[in-house]
Order: sequence, then C-alpha cells, then structure tokens
Amino acid sequence: MLQKDIHDFLDRYFTANECEMLEQGNDLLHVQLTIELDKLLMNRPFYWHYQELTGAEPNPMKLKLQTKQSEEDSDGEFVHFGSPRLHQIFQSTRQLGSYIRLYENVQQNENAYVPLVPWLGLNIKVSYQCDRKKDFLHSIGLNLINGMMVSEFQGLLESKPLTPKIPDYCYTMSTLIRPGSGIKRIEQYIEQVIQDDDPQWSIDARKRWQEDEELLDHFYQDIEELPESYHVEKQALKELYEPKVVIQIINGGMFYLSNHTLMNLN
Amino acid sequence: MTFKIQHDQSWSTDFIKRLDEDGPWANWELYKLALEAEESLIIPDFLGLQAPKHIPHVQILPHQLEVTRKVIEDMNGKGILADEVGLGKTIEAGLIMKEYMIRGLAKKILILVPASLVLQWTHELNTKFLIPAVPQKKAYVWEQYDVVVSSIDTAKRSPHREIVLDQDYDLIIIDEAHKLKNKKTKNYDFVQHLKKKYCLLLTATPIQNRIQEVFNLVSLLKPGHLGNEEYFDEAYRSGRYDVQNEEKLKQLINKVMVRTRREDTGLKWPKRIVKTVPITLSPTERKLYESITQARSNTAYEQHHAFSTITLQREVCSSREAVFLTLKAMAEKEGISESARETAISLMYEIENVDRNSKAEKALEIIQSIDGKVIIFTEYRATQLYLQWYLQQHGIKSVPFRGGFKRNKKDWMTQLFKNHAKVLIATEAGGEGINLQFCQHIINYDLPWNPMRIEQRIGRIHRIGQEHDVHIYNFATENTIEEHILRLLYEKINLFENVIGDLDEILSRVGMKNIEQHIRDIFYESDTEGEIRVKMDNLTSLLTYPNDEGDAYASEGHS
Repeated sequence: MLQKDIHDFLDRYFTANECEMLEQGNDLLHVQLTIELDKLLMNRPFYWHYQELTGAEPNPMKLKLQTKQSEEDSDGEFVHFGSPRLHQIFQSTRQLGSYIRLYENVQQNENAYVPLVPWLGLNIKVSYQCDRKKDFLHSIGLNLINGMMVSEFQGLLESKPLTPKIPDYCYTMSTLIRPGSGIKRIEQYIEQVIQDDDPQWSIDARKRWQEDEELLDHFYQDIEELPESYHVEKQALKELYEPKVVIQIINGGMFYLSNHTLMNLN
Repeated sequence: MTFKIQHDQSWSTDFIKRLDEDGPWANWELYKLALEAEESLIIPDFLGLQAPKHIPHVQILPHQLEVTRKVIEDMNGKGILADEVGLGKTIEAGLIMKEYMIRGLAKKILILVPASLVLQWTHELNTKFLIPAVPQKKAYVWEQYDVVVSSIDTAKRSPHREIVLDQDYDLIIIDEAHKLKNKKTKNYDFVQHLKKKYCLLLTATPIQNRIQEVFNLVSLLKPGHLGNEEYFDEAYRSGRYDVQNEEKLKQLINKVMVRTRREDTGLKWPKRIVKTVPITLSPTERKLYESITQARSNTAYEQHHAFSTITLQREVCSSREAVFLTLKAMAEKEGISESARETAISLMYEIENVDRNSKAEKALEIIQSIDGKVIIFTEYRATQLYLQWYLQQHGIKSVPFRGGFKRNKKDWMTQLFKNHAKVLIATEAGGEGINLQFCQHIINYDLPWNPMRIEQRIGRIHRIGQEHDVHIYNFATENTIEEHILRLLYEKINLFENVIGDLDEILSRVGMKNIEQHIRDIFYESDTEGEIRVKMDNLTSLLTYPNDEGDAYASEGHS
C-alpha cells in the first residue's frame, strides 16, 4: 500500500462509517468519530462506562490523521503502512465488515417478477505455516441451488450493482443447499486445491525438523534419564517446524443475484 | 500427508446465527475494505523480508538486512548475533522480531537484557519498531502482555521464575548473552528450561576463542549442534586438536552465528585522532596532592577503607570540589578513628589554599579553540557542577548529563546540547541509544579505570552516522596516579584507536574480569612509586596483545 492508497482507504473507511469530515486535504483527514468508532479506536472503556452510568451527553473524539510526514510540528497523527493506528483500523474492518447480505439491484418493470438466486460468497485466507509462512487469498462463490462454484467471486460481485434491500419486483429463490453445508463444500474445495499444490515446502520443513531432532537426541544420548529440558526442547521443535495449513474465513455472506449473472458464467 | 489442515470455525457459527436472526449485516463498502486490508497484509512468499516496509522511518543498513535474512532463512530463527559494537545488533534483533510478528509466527516474546537496559530496549522497540513492548514491573505482566522486556535476574527469581517457565514463548531474545557461557549457573539453567521456538542470543564479545563457552552457548540455542559434551570433549579439546578439526568447528559455528566486523560493512568509518594533553598542577594543587599522599603513610592500614587515599588522589586531579565532598563525608562518618577525622579536617583546610584549577583552564583553552561542539567526560558530580559554573563565567553555555537521568530528560538534554549549547558535561556515557554524532570532540577530563567505559564514551560519537573524524583529548596530570593509568591503559594498548572488540578480546584472553580491581590492588599494595611502575608494566605486558600469533584478530589500528 502506498501512502496515497492508505489515504484513500482511510477516506472510504470514515465515510462508510458515517463520520463527519471536519477537514480534508491530499494528505490530511480530520474526522469527528461516531460513538461506535470512538469505542472501537480510542481505547477508553472507562469513559464510555462512566458515560453510560451517568447518562451524560456522549462526547466522541475527533481524529486527525496525516498520510504525509510533515516537516514542522503538527498535531496530526502520521499514518503509514506499519503504524499501529492503521493496523488497528484494519482490525476494526474485520469486526465491521465480516457478515453481509446483498441483492443485485435489477432494474425491472412491474410486468414480470424477477427471481434472484441465492449465492454464498466467502473470502478465505489460507496460510502455509511451519517455521516460515506464506498466505493465499481465495474468493469463492457457491450457487445454493445448483451447487455451482466459481472462483474470483469478489471481482464478479464488484462488477454488479448491489443493494442491501431487496429491489422492487424481485423475489429470492429458496436455497436447496443449506448455507452451513455450503460453507463445508467450499472448505472441501479449498482443501482439494491445497492437496493439489506442491507439498515441497512441508517436506523441507519436516527435514529441518528431523535434523534438529536428531541433534537433540544425540545431545542427550548418553544420559539415562532424559531431563525435562530435553522434553521442553523436543516439544518446541515440533511447534517450530511442524507444517500445517490454516484456513480462515475473512468475511462472507449471502448474495442474491439475477439469472443473468448465472448465464454469463456459463 | 506431510501437513495437517486446521479450520477456524468461529466465522461459520456466527454467520449461521445471523442468518437465523436476520442480521446485523455489514455495509458493502466496509466489507470490501475488510478484504482489501487483508489483501495488503498477505505474506506473498516464504522468503524475503516484510518488515522494512513497516518501519520506513528506520534507516536499515545493507549488512543489517543481510544478517536478518540470514538468521531467518539460513538459521531458522535460531542465531547468535555477534556483530562488533556499534553495528546495530539491536536493529537486527528488532528486525527479526518484527518480521516474525508480521508473519504471525511470533506473538509471545520475551526479551532478557541487563537491568540497566530494560527501559531503553522497551523505548526502542516502541519508537523504532512500533512493537508494543512493556517493561516487566509487576508479576501479572508476564501473562497479560505479549512482548515483555525484563532483566534475567528478575525473571529467574521466584515467584517470576515459575510463571515465566510456564509461558509458551514464540521468541526469546537475550542481550549480553556471553554472560550465559557457564552452564553451572542459575541463569544458564533458567534459560535452558524456557519454552521457545525462535531464539536470538546477542553478544559483542567474540567468543570463538573459548571453546567451552562456545559449546555452552550453542547448546542453549540448538542442543546437539556441536555434539554432546563427551563427543565435543573428545573431538575438540583432547590433544588431537588439529587444523582440520578446527576448520570443521568453525564451519559448524558459522551455521548458528553471524559476526559482522566493521571492515565488512563497506561503510566508511571516520578516523579517531587521539591526543594526550599533559596537565601540570599549580603549586597549591601540587601541595594538596602531596599532603594527601603523605596522609596515606600516616594512617594505619586498617583505616584504608575509610580513608581512601587513591580516591582522594584521583579527585585532586579533577577538582578541589570533588576532594572536598569526599573529605567532608569522611569527617562526618561515624566510627572512624579520631586521627583519621583530624587528617580529613586538616586536609579540608588545605583545600582553601587551592586558588585555581589547571585542568579546567586547559579545557577552556581547548573549547575556545574549537568551532564545533565538545563533550567533556568527568568521573565526578562535583567536578561536573564546577565546570558548568566555570564555563558559564567565560560565556560558554553547557548542559549536564548523567546516567541516572530519566529517558526523556536524556533526550531533552541531547536536544539542548544540539541546538543551544556548545558543551555537554557528562559523568557517564549515558548508555546506548544516546546518539551524539553531531559532535566530533571529546575531552576525557578524568580517565576511568575500566577501559570498557572509555570505549562506551567514544562510541557515543564514533558510530554509524558520524561523517567526520573524531578528536579525543586525554587529560593526564603529570606525576600523579593519573599518569600511570594513562600510560598503561591508554598508550601501551592503544586503547583509543582500537575498537571494543579488540579490547574485549584482550581482557577475556588474559582472563581478567575486573581490571579495575586489579589496578586498585596495585596501588594499595605498593609502597613506592617504583613498585607501582614495575607492577603496572607487568600488567601492561600481559595486556599487550602479542602480534606473533598471526591471528586474524590481532589488534589492528583502526582507521
């Protein structure tokens, strides 16, 4: 993320959270936080606890962020890719943007009702982990009527007009596959992708693990009763090297899309 | 299968619940932002470093990046960082820590450092590396915080010990790790029982030459890497120690240790220009010095500790204020003999006759002849105060500096010195993290007996970032105790020109842990000037590094 991307990100973030923009420049964002964001970002639980107890007028704080390091002293907080503030905001998006339900905004006249097909969309992070780590992101959509699965689902969604309320003259078809089983199907698909991938990384990790374990055994080979430190170290080697894959859903939801969308995919 | 697969179920459960309860649902923009945030945090490759782009304000030098890469990729995160002083071991350790944290491979981290450095490490991790480290202050800190900085002495003591040994640490960093070389110590035992995945041992002391110590340190990091004890004894310490073997051992050690030397960094290091400035005591100062030396032979041996002649002699060489304070404390001390008290009081009267300070005059002369800024190091608080007053009388602004200052006061004084004053008068080097590269002149007003402290002093300005040659002026009062010290430590072993690694090497070679005590003993136990000189010469020849060994570490002049 470049500084400009960070600026855009923050701008969209505060707008989406309905914060009033007090001042705005190319590298400056001065916002009035809402009560909800104050609670998420400003780390002052005692104030809010007190406010709720006394019923006093709530007074959420203002936040002044700069995306360019200024030469002279300024009261704005400098935000860059590594700054704790940005990561705190990143984390808060996980809280605020995890579950969703949207409808395709189909323009329709009253003569014909349009059916909308239920899709389950999941954005999934896959981490290959040993003493090293590598991540992948998958965006998968599953048609909950016919079981069809598509990748790069997020890109498809972003090309559609979407709305949180069901549009006029539209109705949703009921699912044949329950969302719970849908999640399982997508996870199975991801597992298959992982199985088909080159496992060399995990073979190498096991080799490193084995090497260190052999050294450890050699170190204690002449000792009759193995001391605690042997077991501590052995366990630590397992935790360090043992290769595993962690599958984590970042966010997801229900998307009701027109048949038109379906046809384009075929 | 060569790996196992874990699913995080928490999302699904909550999702099903929201479907049943018809919400609440996020807005589309925040949903997209959440994904974009995650995309930006994706680790695209097993190899390579993510950390530098997270800390753009830190200038990372090529050799520091290389060490970081090497420890992570070639050593699997278990390494001894043994760079020479001033090359940035702390930066390397911070980078490695940051990299593992970004990758989500390390969360629970323990940093064990000498007690005097706890706050400094904490400060540096927070400001430089943006890592929320906390100093250990209360017992609950161990469990409640992820990144904790503590002294090993605190951590190993009950009730902390039990709590700490119970934690599953992802990463442990130990500064000044050469102190763990003896496996019979409690510290060693403690570290051996810590649960750790990754581990970094930091040391500035070259340990290659002490084979047993290397074995102990490496065994802490990676047990078995150098074999077990019996095998190691057999292979490397028995009579069959040969070149081939040594080469093999070196290779093994290099697999777990990185040691960058100054000349490997490709950086241009400024020169150290050292000048000894002889000081002649004024007649009144000389008289006081002689009276104190006299007093020593008058006082019974058992009074030595109460009546520390050597301290007084050194103080006269610094300032009459310094002597006065010591004498006053002595005279007021309970339980000392009447004769000692009387001596102290009569010496106090004699101080009144001293009408000038020869060293201060010389210092002033040097300061006035220099355009740039000057740091004066003295051993005594009283001298520090006096010098501040004296310089002010001559229209020169100075700021004081003491090791005991709180962190923000140190920073404040550094700023004052940089922007508003010509002179900084310090009683201590002030520890790592105080960078005074904008200054090129140091006056060693008094010389410490512990040569490591001299290196720390010079290290404040002769470090990465210094662009000019560094000038060092050593004051030595003629025909006094000070001259002996200068001769020994500073001229014979070229202390000022050499870097700390060489000195460390010398001291550990001769097994002299406490050179200060050694010198003190010589002065206490010698009756005549001649005897002192002979003993000091012996010490010198012991310390002078023999060049005929052809060792790669022979003390080369530093330029």
